[in-house]
Amino acid sequence: MTGARGKTIVLWSIVWFNLIALSLPTIIILGASFTSGDIVRFPPDGLSLKWYARLWLLDDFKDAFLRTLYVSVICTIVSIPAGTLAALALTRYRIRFRTAIQVYLLLPFTIPLVVSGLGMMIVFGEVRILGQLWPVGIGLCCINLPFMMWAVSATVNALDNNLENAAANCGAPPLQAFLTVTLPAVMPGVITGALLMFILAFNEFLVSLFLTDARIVTLPVSIYNSIRSVITPDLAAVSVVYIVIALFAVWLLDRLVGLELFLKSK
Amino acid sequence: MTSPLPVVELRDVSKSFGNVRAVKNVSFTLPRGSVLTILGPSGCGKTTLLRMIAGFDAPTSGEIFIQGQPVSSVPPYQRSIGMVFQKLALFPHMTAAENIAYPLKMRRYDPATIPGRVERYLQIVQLSGMGTRRIHELSGGQQQRVAIARALSFSPDLLLLDEPLSALDKKLREEMQLEFRRIQQELAVTTINVTHDQREALVMSDEIIVMSDGAVQQAADPVRLYREPSSRFVASFIGLTSLLTGRATKIQAMDVAIQVGNMVLKGRTADETIQNGAWVECALRAEQVRIFPAGKGFAEFDNALEGVVDQQIFEGDRMVYQVRCPALGDAPIFVFDHDPAHHQFHQKDDSVRIGWNAQDLLVYACSDA
Ligand SMILES: Nc1ncnc2c1ncn2[C@@H]1O[C@H](COP(=O)(O)OP(=O)(O)O)[C@@H](O)[C@H]1O
Ligand SMILES: [Mg+2]
Repeated sequence: MTGARGKTIVLWSIVWFNLIALSLPTIIILGASFTSGDIVRFPPDGLSLKWYARLWLLDDFKDAFLRTLYVSVICTIVSIPAGTLAALALTRYRIRFRTAIQVYLLLPFTIPLVVSGLGMMIVFGEVRILGQLWPVGIGLCCINLPFMMWAVSATVNALDNNLENAAANCGAPPLQAFLTVTLPAVMPGVITGALLMFILAFNEFLVSLFLTDARIVTLPVSIYNSIRSVITPDLAAVSVVYIVIALFAVWLLDRLVGLELFLKSK
Repeated sequence: MTSPLPVVELRDVSKSFGNVRAVKNVSFTLPRGSVLTILGPSGCGKTTLLRMIAGFDAPTSGEIFIQGQPVSSVPPYQRSIGMVFQKLALFPHMTAAENIAYPLKMRRYDPATIPGRVERYLQIVQLSGMGTRRIHELSGGQQQRVAIARALSFSPDLLLLDEPLSALDKKLREEMQLEFRRIQQELAVTTINVTHDQREALVMSDEIIVMSDGAVQQAADPVRLYREPSSRFVASFIGLTSLLTGRATKIQAMDVAIQVGNMVLKGRTADETIQNGAWVECALRAEQVRIFPAGKGFAEFDNALEGVVDQQIFEGDRMVYQVRCPALGDAPIFVFDHDPAHHQFHQKDDSVRIGWNAQDLLVYACSDA
């Protein structure tokens, strides 16, 4: 009896400690962003929305936000077909050089982001696309693609091997079977992966730092730049914008796929 | 033509995967409306055979005919075959009704007739009112029923079942066997069923093919297969069977005397090639052996001997004994004793006498001779 109770107490203590440790920074930032004073501190000196109002007036941040959105959308749009088809091909079909391709596509995970960023900066510079915004999206897609493939592979591996055969047996020619059975069946993985890609691209700092310049800074880089000068509560407000977007993504995932399914597939 | 075409005919069909010969020269014909069961241990080539009939794999040699037409160049989606897969392979993103409607859509049924047809098949598999459920919202047995309905909704010429019941627990499995039988008879659909469960084969089939290692061992109706197994393998695969190895000593037509250990047993063979002095294998069904307390019940049997009970298992409707006979070199003999309520059980290590008749000791030439 006491042993079981002791275990319960220990487990719950760990759970609460983790929850608090994980959410404390978020709570502090959240509080600080509503301050009516002029410095970031917790608890805030009075409540107001003035830093949000100021944020809205700061064109630099607004532009950076829109650029980040643009980059993230490009990254997501490119990664959906690339990641889905790669994951399907590698897990579902017998193709030549399978292991080699698999290793090649997972390579970004093993290379430090600094190296990837520097490499891409050089390559983009050589082909004269450095300084444009869309290549940043492509670059972020490259480094995060393994996440997309993982999300899709997890769903594909849970499927019955005979799914396409069953479709053929029902009278569906191969293309039809792919469009009406295989693709919809892996949709939960595609949605999960796409949201993941979007959030990762939205947050990505290091590689973006290499690929952007003053004219096309994205939000993470722009935040970094302001930290280096003076820390004002508008930074806390930007962080809250981030948190809201992340929460929105989680909500969307839950609506579209079901969080339970997402957590189980990992 | 007087007799109608068989729905399926296999002529000398073989399939190799690299060096593995998964299916070896299989031939059979299947008349309309009948149920054929392919029975064999795991890995004997059953699934491979079904995949060739369904069109997912091409035979390495031989030809498959469906409704009299060779089908090697017909892709699976143009064959009129419904299949229930081992793991069902239901479409996870569709409801039960959408699964059942899928083959109708793919086969371009008039959209107006589809809902009615789906409803009818939901009714046949007793899932009325559950059409709107997602697949993961259904129990294992209900998923089986959806898979059956999906395989049958387009009235295929042929139904293939690849051990779909093997994952179910015993009670549900036996329930679904009867359910299959009922649906099969109601729709009179020609069926090939694959299983490694001998009981299922006996219950469900008009004809059974026993396979081992890719080759057909015997094809017969259930009663003949059980009573007249053509080889030691078939005899041991179906029923509870004791196996003895010995030397044939005297042969007169079908009657053989076999020296096993230091006993001479009387048996029966269908094999005319067995020579005097040849090594033979004998199979004996547990239900053909009678068991008595020591000192009783000798006279009426062709073969009778003394033994010691090694093990007794109470199965409710019967007792299963494993008896060791020193005279046979300690080979175990299995014995069923039905309705044990009216006489005493024999306990472990009890001395007993067992007996059986010559016609029940089936004698085969040694397979590895
Ligand atoms: N695609 C394949 N490639 C190589 N060997 C295979 C393949 N499919 C089946 N086999 C082999 O063929 C034999 C028969 O397999 P299978 O038909 O699945 O047996 P069963 O269904 O009776 O259990 C096995 O030895 C198996 O390893
Ligand atoms: Mg199989």
